[in-house]
Amino acid sequence: MLYLQVAANGLVLGGLYACIAVGFSLVWGVLNVINILHGSFIVLGSYLALFAYQVLGLHPFLAILPVAAALYAVGHATQGLLVNRVIAAPVLMTLTLTFGLDLMLNNTMIVAFTADYRRLNLETPLGVLFLGDVVLPGDRVAAMALALLLTGGLWLLLRGTRLGRAVVAVRMDRDAAALMGVNVPRINAVTFGLGAAMAGAAGVLLALIFPVSPLNSGLFLGKAFTVCVLGGLGSVPGALVGGIALGLIESFGALWLGPEWAITISFMVLIAVLALRPDGLLGRRGYA
Amino acid sequence: MSDAALEVEELHAGYGDVAVLRGVSLSVAAGAITCIIGSNGAGKTTLLRAVSGLVSARAGRVRAAGQDLTNAGPEAMVRAGVVHVPEGRRLFAAMSVRDNLLMGAYLRRDQAAIRRDLERVYETFPRLAERRHQDASTLSGGEQQMCAIGRGIMADPRVLMIDELSLGLAPAAVDLLMDALRAINAAGVAILLVEQDVMAALDVAHAGYILDRGSVVGAGSSAALAADPMIREAYLGAVQA
Repeated sequence: MLYLQVAANGLVLGGLYACIAVGFSLVWGVLNVINILHGSFIVLGSYLALFAYQVLGLHPFLAILPVAAALYAVGHATQGLLVNRVIAAPVLMTLTLTFGLDLMLNNTMIVAFTADYRRLNLETPLGVLFLGDVVLPGDRVAAMALALLLTGGLWLLLRGTRLGRAVVAVRMDRDAAALMGVNVPRINAVTFGLGAAMAGAAGVLLALIFPVSPLNSGLFLGKAFTVCVLGGLGSVPGALVGGIALGLIESFGALWLGPEWAITISFMVLIAVLALRPDGLLGRRGYA
Repeated sequence: MSDAALEVEELHAGYGDVAVLRGVSLSVAAGAITCIIGSNGAGKTTLLRAVSGLVSARAGRVRAAGQDLTNAGPEAMVRAGVVHVPEGRRLFAAMSVRDNLLMGAYLRRDQAAIRRDLERVYETFPRLAERRHQDASTLSGGEQQMCAIGRGIMADPRVLMIDELSLGLAPAAVDLLMDALRAINAAGVAILLVEQDVMAALDVAHAGYILDRGSVVGAGSSAALAADPMIREAYLGAVQA
């Protein structure tokens, strides 16, 4: 029964990890940009949810869409005004640029919000869910369900819409996409905006579970990175499989070896995957 | 030249320090098939890339649909009805045949017209209809070229520029594609065909230009070019009579 409980915890965590990673994977896969800002975008989303709840009384679940929209605007502008200028340069150049922007955003948040860990405590939590012998906090389960819904929504957007087809086309062949009349710099900006929106939405959901602090950005970025490598870069299903795999690995690792080993285990698994299956569990694909 | 669907005047283009096009002028007549022949490295592909805006022109003009479109960019060229089917097909892998075709109609908004043209492409190339849900990268070479041309048609072009139609394809597939080209042209689309198979190109085209080291060195009707002894020797491999 203990294993079932641990598996359930792992799945809940994994759904959130998928949501953390899918935007990062999108930007990396389509734009070939390793967006170091991703972790800080997540934290910014958490703060926006925190303040929306404390000041406006807006429930975090209702704050997801406005926060995602705000982060979309930030991401779109970041790519349109800055990253597009060096998009054709080698990946190290864009990595350096987002690294520098991350230092600025993260330190601005430390100055503005302090580095103190804050908590978003809901006044009326959803209570506890009993599934047989498995016990789960309702808010966590709802957060996971919403994370999966958002991830699925992104997948539908990419596969089923004209805009999504353009994003996938730019990923597969930017010159050919340009020949279809696709405005590639604009699609770059839309893609980066979507990645930031997913980060913001993930941040809102994570605020319900993790304490909020700018110091967490590196932790979230590490998770995103691990999930992408685990699942295989460049696809929504890859991020989903990688996220759930990481959630389960961390939960069982914490059970067998102690919670302090969770991060060590996930990086050891990462190294093993890189050595044995460098394209990730699902392999490198288009946004299929 | 009022009946020209596409006009190129004294076009210069290149990559870095390398000048590839050194003042190319040509005209694609509305409703006709025009071919460009020339050896490897003559600048054929660069010419198409400079017209469609993938490479910027350093001097000269590109005119279509009554507008000066020099360096207007690929999006403006597609909007003006000048559509480039690139060498090597360049289909979007991991996307279905249908989604590839729909990408061709990216700038169009009239859903009913897009659906009608999609059916038209399926009628022209029944193989694509059979494989519409298949990943485009799993098609055979000939089928990929059908999909690439179909994708071009989906843009509802005035001028379709096709780079290396026959490269790497079986003769039967080439025949089928050439027939399709005639049908597309008969429907009112001007075609600019770049082709290494000079015999096939002069057979399908009404007029042709010969490109050599970035300049036009010959032009005329296909019949005249095919009869020119110098061209026969240089490009058709004919033994000197």
